[in-house]
Amino acid sequence: MRHGLKHLLAFWRPSTESLPFTVLFKKFQSILERNNRILELMADMGDKLGGEYVFDGHYIEEVSETLGDLVFKLISDYSILNQHQNADLFLAFERIRLAIGEELSGQHILTTGEPVLLLAQLGHELSELAGTKMANLGDIRNRLELSTPGGFVITTRSFFDFLQHNDLLDKARPAAQYWHDQDEEALKQLADEMQHSILTATLPRRLSVRIFAAFDALAERRQLKDLRVAMRSSAWGEDGSSSFAGQYQSVLNVSRDQLIDAYRQVVASAYSFEAWHYRLYKGFHENETAMAVGCQVMVKGLVSGVIHTYAPHLAAGAMLASAVWGLCAPVVKGINATDNIVLSRTPPYPLISLAIADKPKQLILAPSGGTAWEDLPEALHQAPSMTSEQMEQLAKAAMSIERYYKRPQEIEWTFDPGGTLQILQTRPLRSQGEPFAPKQLISDATRRAEIVFSGKGFIAQRGIAVGKVFLVENDVDLAAFPHGAILLSRYTSPRYSAVMHKAQGILTDVGSPTGHMATLSREYRVPTIVNTEIATSQLATGDEITLDATQNIVYRGNIGALDHFELTEEEVFEDSYEYRLLRRLLKFISPLNLLDPQGDGFQPTACRTYHDITRFIHEKAVEELISLSEQRGAQYLSAPKRLTTTLPIGLMLIDGGGGTTCAPESRTATPEQIVSLPLRKLLDGMGSLGMWCTEPVAVDLGSFMSSFTRTFSASMASPAEIGRNLVVVLDHYMNINMRLGYHFTIIDAYISEAINDNYIYFRFLGGVTELIRRSRRAAFIAKVLEQFDFRVEIHGDLVVGRLKKLSLPRMAQRMRMVGGLVGYTRQLDARMHTDKDVNHHAEIFLKAMQSVIGE
Amino acid sequence: MTTATGTAGSPLHILILDDEPIVCKRLKPAFQKMGYEVETFTDSASALARLHETTFDIVITDLKMEGADGMQVLTGAKESSGTTHVIVITGFATLDTAKESYRKGAFDFVAKPFKLRDILDCVKRIEEKRRDEQAPDAPLTV
Repeated sequence: MRHGLKHLLAFWRPSTESLPFTVLFKKFQSILERNNRILELMADMGDKLGGEYVFDGHYIEEVSETLGDLVFKLISDYSILNQHQNADLFLAFERIRLAIGEELSGQHILTTGEPVLLLAQLGHELSELAGTKMANLGDIRNRLELSTPGGFVITTRSFFDFLQHNDLLDKARPAAQYWHDQDEEALKQLADEMQHSILTATLPRRLSVRIFAAFDALAERRQLKDLRVAMRSSAWGEDGSSSFAGQYQSVLNVSRDQLIDAYRQVVASAYSFEAWHYRLYKGFHENETAMAVGCQVMVKGLVSGVIHTYAPHLAAGAMLASAVWGLCAPVVKGINATDNIVLSRTPPYPLISLAIADKPKQLILAPSGGTAWEDLPEALHQAPSMTSEQMEQLAKAAMSIERYYKRPQEIEWTFDPGGTLQILQTRPLRSQGEPFAPKQLISDATRRAEIVFSGKGFIAQRGIAVGKVFLVENDVDLAAFPHGAILLSRYTSPRYSAVMHKAQGILTDVGSPTGHMATLSREYRVPTIVNTEIATSQLATGDEITLDATQNIVYRGNIGALDHFELTEEEVFEDSYEYRLLRRLLKFISPLNLLDPQGDGFQPTACRTYHDITRFIHEKAVEELISLSEQRGAQYLSAPKRLTTTLPIGLMLIDGGGGTTCAPESRTATPEQIVSLPLRKLLDGMGSLGMWCTEPVAVDLGSFMSSFTRTFSASMASPAEIGRNLVVVLDHYMNINMRLGYHFTIIDAYISEAINDNYIYFRFLGGVTELIRRSRRAAFIAKVLEQFDFRVEIHGDLVVGRLKKLSLPRMAQRMRMVGGLVGYTRQLDARMHTDKDVNHHAEIFLKAMQSVIGE
Repeated sequence: MTTATGTAGSPLHILILDDEPIVCKRLKPAFQKMGYEVETFTDSASALARLHETTFDIVITDLKMEGADGMQVLTGAKESSGTTHVIVITGFATLDTAKESYRKGAFDFVAKPFKLRDILDCVKRIEEKRRDEQAPDAPLTV
């Protein structure tokens, strides 16, 4: 494969004749354009997960293809620029493109991925490997911050290895034909044979070794000599939109020497006649069968049960918990009378009614493995099995889980001997027999309701939230945020992720649907509307509202009908195939692994996503252009010159014609020799605020900034650390690529008397500092640029500002401002302590700018 | 909130046709929530058959489909009832297809992916237009 591709790419071999600089510079510009387009497309794809857009499979295919095409052309442009084959880059691209292609074609046999994964690593994005049930538990533990018994999952990749090792996948294939022919007897016989084969099959040695290693590591972490685990089925689709409740087997209280047998038992249950029949009836294809198996520490439950988060047939706005002493299994199987506890769905979730059952026995873990019944002391027979504190704790957890999955849930739970609530599993609650209730005439309810505001701002995450508003202005408020409330704030902040697992919804006055908080809202699936402008002026803590982040309307009061409608909708957007596919694809596209250009890992071979390739090429293209002009520039035009300035920006200048008054062979240029108007103004602006100096300066701002310019690490300011930055100039044109610390700024500008040709393009990409400060910095930059008439887009770390067609003096003023902004933001992260700093800094900066540009 | 009503005060009746089920699944509840009556189809033959049976106030149709395409559905809908408004949604938007849609009487042409709000607004505009037309002093033009 590698060889073939290299052969294919042989035409990229460097030619002996070098290309004219103008051609190379055009390639460089084309790299920048593609780079921008790629970053924007990636951001657009991310936005689609928020639910505001209706998109389909065609969109996903088209955007994936466009993106792949752009990345391929980017590498091709770079290959012309650096005159190399760049086979490693093409191979990295090919790997990613192939993985994307496989996802798009719906190829399902997993031959890659870990054979075993820890629960702590799981989330729904790993549901292909971990199966739906265990991926859900991963979300609950790692995202919703609830407790689940610790453990690991033997993945679907292991399932395929196991079955392929024994030639059993082919054996299952006739099932579809039997189903088609309605030959139930044949299916039954096949099911029996499959199960028997699995129960007697050998595991590939490497797999059993991994399973035992994971078990032993778990025992060591828990410091348990005689670790017992529950082995639970976690098949594709199980506990997803089809519940498969009770179709697959779980084996409880399994010891080390029973481990492999129990694994076989759970896998074999995938082929029980009932389960197989159910799958075929539900329209699953044979290649959609895969069984991961969860292994979790056995919990000696003191009180356990099941909670249905939505029980309108019992009382309006009610949920129902069924509880018994001991383990949970009798409740699930419905073989014992249970305490029935009806709780309100509204915080603080008060008890509505309680019916206590006679409970003479409890199920416990048997010392030899498995479970056993035990008689209970008489005093416990008629005693309520749950305390009111436990009820409230359970209710909170249940509502968090329902809010996350946007469906009424059926949750198995237990309180362990330490008093901790452990979530054992959750699945969508099926309405028993008939729909929960006839669809109420929703428009009647909404028509009567008072609309607080509508159509304001942007939906960052769709959904319906009903609850009381809680205004968050500072960390104290955030710490006091009550469970089940709707977060109201002037600003967006990624810090709100701390309460997202218990928030019903989020409303802000300002903010972007593509900012960091929006990404987190989507991660936690909290219905969120940002940039409403007026939310905090219309609402106050304690107001009960219904936030409809599907239609973008905020109603006063509790519109139960809307909530009901949402909860009983046929399909949740997040459960749709298209949503899951887009999410999976983005894993090969968006994450940035190549963070540090100085680090050893900054290699083409380390590129795992399109973003990595894009970043790598941008960084290298700048270096390439400098070294190209160093080596050959003099043949065609002037040699690259080092700009002699007190600003520690390590700037190399290439004059494409008329940009300086230097002699062509000169290796340095002074600021006075610069003719290029955009660059002159930019440097003016950069120097104007005195932020590069280590001594106090006269401007007000200087005293403000000096405290930290002094403490700022000297190495950060040295050109070696900064690397060489590049500017290419003509008399009216400038293209500058600057990496200062970890920030990446590109400015492309043309300024002349011809108003219609004038433009400034400003792009800022943040670095590896913590998410919160990065997002504040992006907000600050956007605010300042907008103040100066730029059209601004924020996509996560990326801020793009565009300005066009202003007169020469106004353009020049704005270039000075941009220079100031670049200097100011260079060290800004250190000062962004709170969200209010965004406005504070913007005010200081704008004020300082008034004196600099006189506007 | 405005009331969603058709000709005789009954809720507006909307037909949605898109061969990608996800589009129907997303649009249906959104319109139901507005009080509209919605029927969805993923193949044009059944949608056309339904159009022959009954009159819809609004038809929202995809353009590129197996069998009869969106243009044929547009024509069919307009033929079956002159008062039906058609919104064309497509992932293959070009100036030509947009022009052709309008020439054949489409009310609007929306490129996919679109914001849910955009299509809801589009339907609201149709609703307002119908109300204006039904007002006694309104000119009798379509």
